[in-house]
Amino acid sequence: MAWILIVDDEEMIRENLKAYLEDEGWRVAAFAAVAPALCWLQTGDPCQVCIMDMRLPDMDGNTAIRTLHQMYPEMEFLIHTGSSSYNLPDDLRALGLDESRVYQKPLSDMAPLATAVHMLTVPRENRI
Amino acid sequence: MLLVVVSLFPTTHSIANQLQPTSDPLVVATHTPPSPPKLALTPSNETSDPQSDNELQSGTARQKTGMLETILHYATWILALLATIAIAALLWSTLLQRQVAQRTRQLQRELNERRQVETALRESEIRFRDVTEAASDWIWEMDENMRFTYLSERFFALTGIAPQHVLSRTRWELATGDLANDPQKWQRHRQLLELHQPFRDFVYQTRLNDNQGDGRHLKVSGKPIHDGLGRFRGYRGTGTDITEQVKAEKALHESELRLRRIIDLVPHLIFAKDRYGHFLLANRATAKAYGTSIEALINRSHRQIHGSDEEVERMLTDDLEVIESGVSKLIPEEAFTDHTGHTRTMQTIKIPFTEPGSNKTAALGVSIDITEQKHAKEEVARMRLYLKNIIDSMPSILIGVDPWGYITVLNQLAEEMSGSSWEAAQGRFFGELFPQLENQFEQVRQAIRRGRPIKTPRMTFDVGGELHYADVMVYPLMAESANGAVIRMDDVTARVRIESMMVQTEKMLSVGGLAAGMAHEINNPLGVIMQGSQNILRRIDPTMPRNRAAAAAMGVDLHQINRYLVDRDILHFLEGIREAGARAAKIVADMLSFSRRSESRFTLVDLEEMLETVLRLAASDYDLKKKYDFRRITIKRDYDPALHVMYCDKTEIEQVILNLLKNAAQAMADEGTLSPTIILRTRQEPDTVLIEVIDNGPGMDQKILNRIFEPFFTTKEVGAGTGLGLSVSYFIITEQHNGRLLVHSKPGQGACFSIRLPLNREASL
Repeated sequence: MAWILIVDDEEMIRENLKAYLEDEGWRVAAFAAVAPALCWLQTGDPCQVCIMDMRLPDMDGNTAIRTLHQMYPEMEFLIHTGSSSYNLPDDLRALGLDESRVYQKPLSDMAPLATAVHMLTVPRENRI
Repeated sequence: MLLVVVSLFPTTHSIANQLQPTSDPLVVATHTPPSPPKLALTPSNETSDPQSDNELQSGTARQKTGMLETILHYATWILALLATIAIAALLWSTLLQRQVAQRTRQLQRELNERRQVETALRESEIRFRDVTEAASDWIWEMDENMRFTYLSERFFALTGIAPQHVLSRTRWELATGDLANDPQKWQRHRQLLELHQPFRDFVYQTRLNDNQGDGRHLKVSGKPIHDGLGRFRGYRGTGTDITEQVKAEKALHESELRLRRIIDLVPHLIFAKDRYGHFLLANRATAKAYGTSIEALINRSHRQIHGSDEEVERMLTDDLEVIESGVSKLIPEEAFTDHTGHTRTMQTIKIPFTEPGSNKTAALGVSIDITEQKHAKEEVARMRLYLKNIIDSMPSILIGVDPWGYITVLNQLAEEMSGSSWEAAQGRFFGELFPQLENQFEQVRQAIRRGRPIKTPRMTFDVGGELHYADVMVYPLMAESANGAVIRMDDVTARVRIESMMVQTEKMLSVGGLAAGMAHEINNPLGVIMQGSQNILRRIDPTMPRNRAAAAAMGVDLHQINRYLVDRDILHFLEGIREAGARAAKIVADMLSFSRRSESRFTLVDLEEMLETVLRLAASDYDLKKKYDFRRITIKRDYDPALHVMYCDKTEIEQVILNLLKNAAQAMADEGTLSPTIILRTRQEPDTVLIEVIDNGPGMDQKILNRIFEPFFTTKEVGAGTGLGLSVSYFIITEQHNGRLLVHSKPGQGACFSIRLPLNREASL
């Protein structure tokens, strides 16, 4: 069973996503900032998908994705942001991210996000 | 002889008696023989009477002596002889008497004639004396050296010059001034004198001393005198003092000169022409106009002088009319082409005028050049028209009033507004024609009193049920002759609307800015609300294995709980929370649309394809709760076949058109329109693409139209709309696409939304 990592400084968002994905059958680790998430990654099991908020207390989301990608190249990312004017930086696009990975807050329905997570947990070579 | 002598006397006397019928009785009694002249007058047979008288005397002598008979016989013979002699003598005397009488009559006649001649001579002498004394003539004589030797008394009487100043001097010595003035005249005169020729009417001026003023003007005539031997003895002649005449002539001349100068100074054309068109008189201005001299004009025909035949004929016709009718004629305006070919406008009066001396009527004309006046008049008229055009071209309503509010001027818009022409409105009170402006009378008075314009901005008017705005300005007129004011009224409704649009846009932009700033902060709680609701609903779902497991572990019947939640409407409330969250999220998202986007998402879009996509989206937007079914609506496609692709932000334009379609559908559903129809029309215009969404729904009134693009303005029931749909659409079209979004609608007549987007890409960026 793969691990899903959530980084979001809004506790109830974090908790709700965690609950939904757990109900879907995943193991979910959720953190309010990047630093504790990194700590957890160093000690715990490998993580397949990370749902990253953009505005975070210790680091901005883009930098966090770059850092995590450097450390865990297999990790896939979904972006969950409250900023309507968010644009994907080119270097992140280069990593294979596109608009389909970006989810605008608020999510009235978490099902599409769960579907996306499900898609990303499938090994790349097997994806449609 | 004695008898003859005696009879001579009575004859003379009888002649005298005949001459003097009152015959003296004494003379007749003394001289018996007067009878013979009587006999001579009686017929010859009566001569026997004196013979029988002689026989009576001889009868008495026969009785005395016989002898005496012989003697008597002889005596008879002697007597007979004597009688014969006596008869002859009588006859002779009668003849003589006749001759004498004849001669006497002749003498008498000659005497009479002489007496008459003498009387005539005497009368002539008297007349001559009287004439000499009465006439302004005198007699002069000069000797062979031309020195005056005699001057008649009249000289002094007439000239006031004492003869002693003149006698023994020559004429030229007495006229030094005149000599100096005109030596040639004097030279000719002296030559004549030296040739001993007679001369007539030599006029000169004599001036003996300064007391004489101008001296005297004299006119003299003279003849040379020759003695019995034919030797030249001097001159004799008459002289006249013509000073008064010269003075009068001079005065007359001066007067004429003065008049001449006056008419020459007058800049108007003064002329007189006879009935044949010959100039009798012309002043300098006239001559100048014909480019000739006054002398060259006089007695010449107008036809020969004037260049334009048409003008000549017209003028001569006028002349003739005046001459024939004897009535003056005023020609208010006539064309006159002068010698330079320049046509002037003249005002001419022609007056019948009797020429002195000839008694013929001529036409006297005075022509005034009114070209400038006419130009000025025309200029004034032109200027007036020009100003009228200017005030008519003004987009304002202009009403000129006098200080009492009576209309002096209206421009075209004011005429249209009042429905009255300028002419008809003049002098009427402005409040009568412009009731909406009547309350401006106070401003008119104030403006005039203070000399400052007074402005009343944004006055509201009702124009055919529509609310209109107008700025009213009252300008005082301070010109001396045009005291009053001008009321200027500008319909600023369009501007007010644009301004409100701009305010709206600003509002929207600030809404966008605000939304962008708070979106993050609001989206998180919204997310919590919605995600929380979703999780709650999921986790009480009895079909979910995890839920059932957790419930079983606690010994709770999940189905019962679920029934309870349904029964108490808790699930419904939870769903309400989720929906409310979703609506709030939509509002925030719409508000975020107002923020300008820096990046361009403009692409080439196939218009028809895009519209079809939108129609599909709309059809799927079936909502029971919103009570309308898009599929029930007839869609008429009226696409311009020439139009294919255009540049735009596809998502945004889709959003706009979807919004319009949904609004139309909803409005028709609310109204219960019987056969709801939407026409989708596209047209290519010169620089723009037109997309129209036309419905046959209930339409809107002006009040709604005025606010339709305003953010948060909605006619839908609370909760049915965000009040941002059309304002977002407006923003997308006008701000992000540089296009226009217009709406036309009237209550009960449907609505037409027109989107115009720039055709070329540059304009839309």
